[in-house]
Amino acid sequence: MRSKHPVRESLIFLACVLFAIFAAFPIYWMINTALSTDQELYTGQSLWPHLERVLDIPAFLSGSPAFAWLGNSAFIAFGTTFLSLIMAVHGAYALSRFKFFGKGAVGFLLFATQMLPEAVIVVPLFAVFAGFGLLNNLYGLVLATTGFIMPVALFILKGAIDKVPFELEESARVDGCPRYSQLMMIIFPLILPSIAAAAVIAFFDGWNEFLFANTFISDANHWPATVGLASFIGQYSTPLNVVMAVAFLFTLPAIVFFLILQREIVSGLTAGAVKG
Amino acid sequence: MTITPTLDGVDQEISRGKRIKGSGPPANGPRRRGWIAYIFIAPAVIYLAVFVLAALAKGIALSFTDTRLLNPSGGNFVGADNYKGLITSSQFWDSIAVTLVYTVATVFFALIIGTAAAVLVNRPFRGRALFRAIMTLPYAVPTVAVTLIFIWIYNKESGVLNMGVEALGFGQVGWLTDPSFGMISVVLTTVWKVFPFVMIVMLAALQSVPDELFEATRVDGADGLSAFRAIVLPHILPTVRIVALLMTIWSIRRFEIIYLLTGGGPVKTTNTLVINIYNSAFTGQKLGVAAAMGVLGLFLSLGAAVIFSFLERRGAKKEGVA
Repeated sequence: MRSKHPVRESLIFLACVLFAIFAAFPIYWMINTALSTDQELYTGQSLWPHLERVLDIPAFLSGSPAFAWLGNSAFIAFGTTFLSLIMAVHGAYALSRFKFFGKGAVGFLLFATQMLPEAVIVVPLFAVFAGFGLLNNLYGLVLATTGFIMPVALFILKGAIDKVPFELEESARVDGCPRYSQLMMIIFPLILPSIAAAAVIAFFDGWNEFLFANTFISDANHWPATVGLASFIGQYSTPLNVVMAVAFLFTLPAIVFFLILQREIVSGLTAGAVKG
Repeated sequence: MTITPTLDGVDQEISRGKRIKGSGPPANGPRRRGWIAYIFIAPAVIYLAVFVLAALAKGIALSFTDTRLLNPSGGNFVGADNYKGLITSSQFWDSIAVTLVYTVATVFFALIIGTAAAVLVNRPFRGRALFRAIMTLPYAVPTVAVTLIFIWIYNKESGVLNMGVEALGFGQVGWLTDPSFGMISVVLTTVWKVFPFVMIVMLAALQSVPDELFEATRVDGADGLSAFRAIVLPHILPTVRIVALLMTIWSIRRFEIIYLLTGGGPVKTTNTLVINIYNSAFTGQKLGVAAAMGVLGLFLSLGAAVIFSFLERRGAKKEGVA
């Protein structure tokens, strides 16, 4: 569309710039802070980042436990993604392709999980996990986190399977293809974009998980990056630029992932929320 | 905090009441009946039954005991004492009120800003893809990193926000320490983090609005905003309602941002229900009381869902979709 009203068009463009600044500034400020010295931070932080210091970052991170934390976060994120997707693919297939007694109850159970605050569940779960020795244990965190994100993955995949024409499986069945192979050989490849979306959303959830980890993990060796980063709050022995550098290191994979898979994530997010 | 996305089909199915009995999409042909479906769905159901339902049942059981943190498997049955204590406690009702204020403010501003951003980048212009990407970035930033950045931005002596405030000739503001500003700071941070979700979903809804309708809003002399309200808004209203429901449920659930920014302070001005529950359990060490608070809190989420499903039905009737 050609712009017909130059003044109006430039006002709209200006509004876009303001929104973009609003969205980007805190991220920019994290990077700027990571590249400042303590001295500068408390005497007036420069608005322009000291980009020449980027190469110093690895040096001052070398002694910090940041990489161990990131490793723990990666373990939780991959574990949560793997466990959620296995259950979600099969569950979504059942909900999309079959009628069965109790289906309404299953749908309600999945929906109800979404309404439940984690902070409500964490109290009794703490009591349960204490009994099973699952406190201070990364597997316990994977188990707890999966309970909250698996239903989301399941709904995304159910929506995707709903769109696969039934006739494809029907003809395969006539050819003698067993039911499980129909799911794996026919449906699975067709819903790969949605699986990618569900995987990234589950991964983000595990990567971001804080509440369960903060409650269940007291051993600092098992901290994920979320709990490690939060431990910097209110303690002044770690310089702020190091804190922000670790925060940035933790943010970077999420942003890169997001930018690469933006199309899939957006379609996953909007699949059910938009009607028509 | 989960950045849990859509509830997909199910919230629509629930809010429409009847569809949940499995009247599947007709385009998919016949649905099969069969016991084999139970095998496919069993892992998910058993999993939720063990880790969510059993935990919930355990929570209800705990709520009738005086269990303490240091001995989570001990504790004596105390009847409804915890509930009686809560209902007469002004701190409990204060935290309900704080939750409502936080939820309404967050949902309201996130909807306005997210929708405005979506409308802005919906029209084609040079560099639109770049603007879209930048505006969705906050969605990808992990919540704990978000709070660390904002704690520094809000810093009273050296934070950039007060640098700006002072440049305008005002005094330093204690964004996270002054009781009149705690809630504002927490809401601002939350809105920054969640508005991209609203934008992404609204953008998809706007793309389903026919182009001619947008043309109509651009007619010479027409007031853009009122034209938008009269012509485009009715089209995207069903999506607005679903997004509002999701945002409400997430606001009631939200933990990290508030816990890490203010911990419920200053002077309990941001002490939402989930923060109150967590602090009662793990600082106050009263698991029983915290569990009772959680059970009462479930009614809050349930109430929100009921209100929205009522609005949905009324809206559907009005639009003649039902």
